[in-house]
Formats: sequence, C-alpha cells, structure tokens
Amino acid sequence: MRNRFRLSMLLTAACLTNGLLALPAIADETCNSPYISNLIKGQEDYIHVWTLGVEHLGDGSDKLVTIDVNPKSKAYGKVINSLSVGGRGEAHHMGFTDDRRYLWAGNLDDSKIFVFDVGSNPAKPTLVRTITDLPAKTGFIGPHTFYALPGRLVIGMLSNSRDKGGVTGLAVYNNKGEFVAKYAMPTTAIGGVQGDGYGYDVAINPARNAMLTSSFAGWENYMRNLGDLVKDPAAMKHFGNTLVMWNLKTLQPTQIFNVPGAPLEIRWALAPGQDWAITATALTSKLWLVKQSAGQWQAKEVGTIGDPSKVPLPVDISITADGKGLWVNTFMDGITHYFDLSDPEHPRQTYQLHTGAQVNMVSQSWDGKRLYITSSLLSQWDKTGQDNEQFLRAFNWNGHALTPAFSVDFTQEKLGRPHHMKFSAKSTQQVALADTGPVRR
Amino acid sequence: MTEQANLHRAAGLRRRVWPLAAGVAVCALSTARAAVDPGPAAAPRTDFVVPAAGTYQLQEIQRTSDAELLDVAGRARHLAEFTHGKVTLLTFFYTSCTDPLGCPFGYVTLSQLRARVVADATLASAVRFVNVSLDPLEDTPAVIRRYAARFTPDPRFEWSFLTAASIPQLLPVLDNFGQDVSVETDPRGRPTRVLHHMLKVFLIDTRGVVREIYSLAYLQPDVMLNDIRTLVMSPPLAHTR
Repeated sequence: MRNRFRLSMLLTAACLTNGLLALPAIADETCNSPYISNLIKGQEDYIHVWTLGVEHLGDGSDKLVTIDVNPKSKAYGKVINSLSVGGRGEAHHMGFTDDRRYLWAGNLDDSKIFVFDVGSNPAKPTLVRTITDLPAKTGFIGPHTFYALPGRLVIGMLSNSRDKGGVTGLAVYNNKGEFVAKYAMPTTAIGGVQGDGYGYDVAINPARNAMLTSSFAGWENYMRNLGDLVKDPAAMKHFGNTLVMWNLKTLQPTQIFNVPGAPLEIRWALAPGQDWAITATALTSKLWLVKQSAGQWQAKEVGTIGDPSKVPLPVDISITADGKGLWVNTFMDGITHYFDLSDPEHPRQTYQLHTGAQVNMVSQSWDGKRLYITSSLLSQWDKTGQDNEQFLRAFNWNGHALTPAFSVDFTQEKLGRPHHMKFSAKSTQQVALADTGPVRR
Repeated sequence: MTEQANLHRAAGLRRRVWPLAAGVAVCALSTARAAVDPGPAAAPRTDFVVPAAGTYQLQEIQRTSDAELLDVAGRARHLAEFTHGKVTLLTFFYTSCTDPLGCPFGYVTLSQLRARVVADATLASAVRFVNVSLDPLEDTPAVIRRYAARFTPDPRFEWSFLTAASIPQLLPVLDNFGQDVSVETDPRGRPTRVLHHMLKVFLIDTRGVVREIYSLAYLQPDVMLNDIRTLVMSPPLAHTR
C-alpha cells in the first residue's frame, strides 16, 4: 500500500507539471480484427497468456501460458501448458492470423515476434517461427498491436531504432512471416492538425474503409523505470496526443485528431450500423468517441474515468459485442469499471470493483458473461513490494455484479508477469484435410 | 454504394447463381464447434467512396508457387499457367458447397465482376478467373467440367476450373496460398463431405504475386474492380523480397 501511495503521488505530481504519462494494453474476443474467422461466441476452452519472464522466478523466460477455462473441464482454472521462448524481451501483446490458426506475440524490448500454432492443438501450442528482422526491415521497434488482414497482419509499432523515441509507424507481414510493407505515422499536419508520429493501437472498420491508430510512447520511456521517468520533465513530454484516421485501401492518413493524454486502446462498435469507435486516454483519464458527422470523422471527449486528479491510469478497455457496455481497467487503483454505452455520446459508469492491487488487461467473452483480468503493465512500470501482485483472475458477470470464478497466482506458479490474453476453443468433429486420406469415395 | 443496394444486387445475383448449386448434398462452413462462429452473418458493406483505380499501390503480399493440377479435360496443367501473364482472381471452392456465405457468395461476386470486366474492353483480355477445388476426392475433372458448364461460358473471358489428382497434390497449393481447410466428421469420427474453410479470393498480378486477398468481410465488388484496374494500368513493380 505504501508503494502504491508513493507511486500515485509521483504520478500525480508528474502529470500536474507535465501533463503526460501512459501505458499499454489490448485484448479479448470482441476486439479481434473483423477479418478473423471463427469468433468464439460460446464458451471458450482456453486462455493463452503472453507472460513476461522474471529473473530468478522459474526459468526466468518469457512464455506463453495456457489455462483451461471451461468450467466443465477437470482442469478448470489450472495452468495446463507453459511454453518458454528463451530469454526476456518484454513480452507484451498478441494477435491471431485471419484463419485463427496462428498467434503472433511481440516483444517490446528486443522487437522479436514469436508465432505460435494454436490451431493444431490449442491445449498445447507450439512455437513455429521467430521473426527477428522487424527493426532491420522497417527502422521501427517495439511491435505492439497485431491486427489481422486477409493473409497478413498489420503491426502497430511504438518506437524507432534511430533514437528510440516515439516516432514510429506500421509494419505489414504476411502470414508466412515475410515482410510486406511499412508505413510511417504522420509527422506533418493534416487538415491543420499536427501529427506527432507516435503509434500504439490499430483498429479497422472495413465497411467504412477506415483504419484508426492511437499513440503512446517510445522505447526510451516504456523501458525506463517508472519512478525515474516521472521525475524527468523532459521525458514526460514524450507521449502521444493524437489519433490518426487512415484510408484503409490506400493506407494513407486522412485525418489527425488532437486527443491529449495518450489515447491507447481503440474499439469499434461491432453492432451493424454502429460506425463509431471509442478510446481511453491514460494520462487524462477520459473517454473519447470517434464518429462521422456530415461526412467527416470527428473525435470528441465524452466521459471521465474515475477521478483524473488522482491519475487512475486507464489502461485496457473491452467493449461488449452489442456496443452497449465498456469495461475499463485503471492500473493505479486496481479498479475495474463498467460503463453503460447505450448512448455512446454520454457514457455512464454503472459499476466498479476493486479487482487487484494493480490491474491492466481486461478481456470479456463474446456473450459478456465472463471477464478475465491480468495484472502486469510493463516490467519497469509494475508496482513493487506487496502491490506487485501477478495474476489472472476470472469473474462471472450477471449484468449487475462480478463474482470471482478462479484466480491463478503467476508468482506462486513461478511463471512471471501475465499480460495479454487470447481465447481459443477445442476443434471438435473436424479433421485436417490431410487426414482424410487420398481415397476416392 | 449503400448497404441496401449492395444486398439487393447480391440477392439478385444469388438468385441467378443459386441454381448452380442445386442438387448438392451438404452445407459447408456450418460449424461443428458450437462455441465458434464462422464469420460475419451478412454480406460486407461498402459505405464509402471507393478510391479511384491507379491512385494507390497494392501490397506485394506473397509469391504463388507452381503445382501440377488437372483441368476440366483431365489434362495435367501447371498452376503457374493460370497465375501469370494476366491479372488473376483465384479462389478455392468445392462443388457441393452450399453455404450462402461460402462458395456461392464467391460465385455471386465473381459473376458480377465478370460482367463488369467483360464490359470494359481494356480489361476483358487482361483478366482471368480461376477456381481450384478443395475436394479432389469428389471433384473429378468430369464433375468440375459439368459444374463449370453451368456458368454459361463467355468466349470473351477466361474462367478456368481446376482440381487436383489427390489430396497430397492439393495440400502444397493450400499451404502456399494460406487457405485453411478442415473436414467435418460424423459422430463416429469419419470424414463427411462438409469442408470448413474461409472464403478467400486472391488477386494476383501478371508475375504471380498476390496483391490483395478478399475474405468475406472485404469481398466488396467495387473495391475489387478498382484493384483489378489498378493492376492492369500499373507497370509491374520490382519484387523486393
């Protein structure tokens, strides 16, 4: 508790003086790319957790941890597989390929990408490829968001190899792991709004030919000890303050929006005709809506998360499948918030629960009945001492309250710091085409 | 193009194309995993002004590999003959696929595109369509010949249908294109005729390089036509990978 108070004070002071600071996140079934097949709309069987290795804890390596989350299973709530990749590179986020057979997992420090086969046997993923040429091919480092396009992934980057600051771009790799293209985040003005060149999340609305990106910070900040960082006024100025709208087909930026305070996760409403997106700003603790008006996309502040003066630091968000609800985790106070989004212009918080000493990622099932939360933000930003809880916690949601279902203590299990989660389901009553035999019926 | 107009037009084409699938047995893409949804439940919308042809570059996504397949006459043919020299739209299908948002939706889209390509003198001879069967066990050359004949062959346009002599000969093609396929089994674990696959249409340039991939959420005819025009009017790019 003392650590948390001290850190809060530091962050508050830093934000008051500099107005800057931010954090990463992203997850869940409702945030998957619209190009991904086989959305799991019933009970998920497994959760894969991309986990940062911790020195002297277990094998100390980054790893993909698989947990059985089907209540009907004998292994419910248990770790059933742990696949170490060797070394620590700041494991962070993951994304499926469009066929959902492969899970790409990125490292923010060494910029490696690990490709896991989760389609053949989701209970026991295998590492099939390690991609190491991202900095050399693009000049960008810190692969953050992995967003499927047909046959390829667009990767939202955080930094660059030249000065390790926040100016960065997007990379595209095909599903075979081959580099395809790169695109710089805009650093010039578009429509009178100056681009800052920063990057973070990527989210696409195919029906509108719209791709929206957000902005965070470079390696120099996200790999720096948080206590030191917030005491450095110059460094605290180096956070993103923009959203960028892109023409998806041409991959040209078309609009830039000033969104102060590091807008992080982006979620498009999924219900047909609901062509708006929402994001949360980490530093200023606000919800922003991006919506078309008179043929132009516009971004506007629509709500507040917690008490911004206390710097709760909103991190991950999770939108319901019908677009009428939004979960928001605030890292510093460990609170999970639920907002009624029935009127996205006026979000209303209707519920909150303290779910841990520190909480980052939040993932909900497609039906909204189950919620999963992990604790780790970044290895250099997580709390210390007793507040350095490292867990995955599962809850059931009845529309009014969260009820604990199970918890996995990642420190006790000697696994590390759990970060991003992705769901998978058993493949039943199907066999590979190769297993059907070449016999003509 | 509004959603309503799109759907109306697709529905009209579907009525014209749907009899092609008559007489087939089972539905594809129906999911055996109760928890899993195969994809979007409706045709994709195109609620935007489609970028003009030639104003953008298409990515060089991947090279295509060669393979030996069979044409409708049962002759051995190199797949490379069908992926080079013209701008090509290639898709995988099987003749007993009946899911309205599976292969038949692909037929709807390609039929519509063929009409528009043929109507443009600069495109008609520069573009081809290719359908490769996912089911070599059932889709023999004779079967796909009868199937192709139902498409009212147009002498002004090249639309080819291919199959493989066996599953082992098909697998490298699927692997190269990244086309996922699995086979539904019956309660006794035996393979049925239902193939699970994601509908994809591959746009290939004259050098055999995939330049766009359209899956269901992205199968937007106006966009596809402008992508075709973009490739036809553009000089080939040097392949850098």
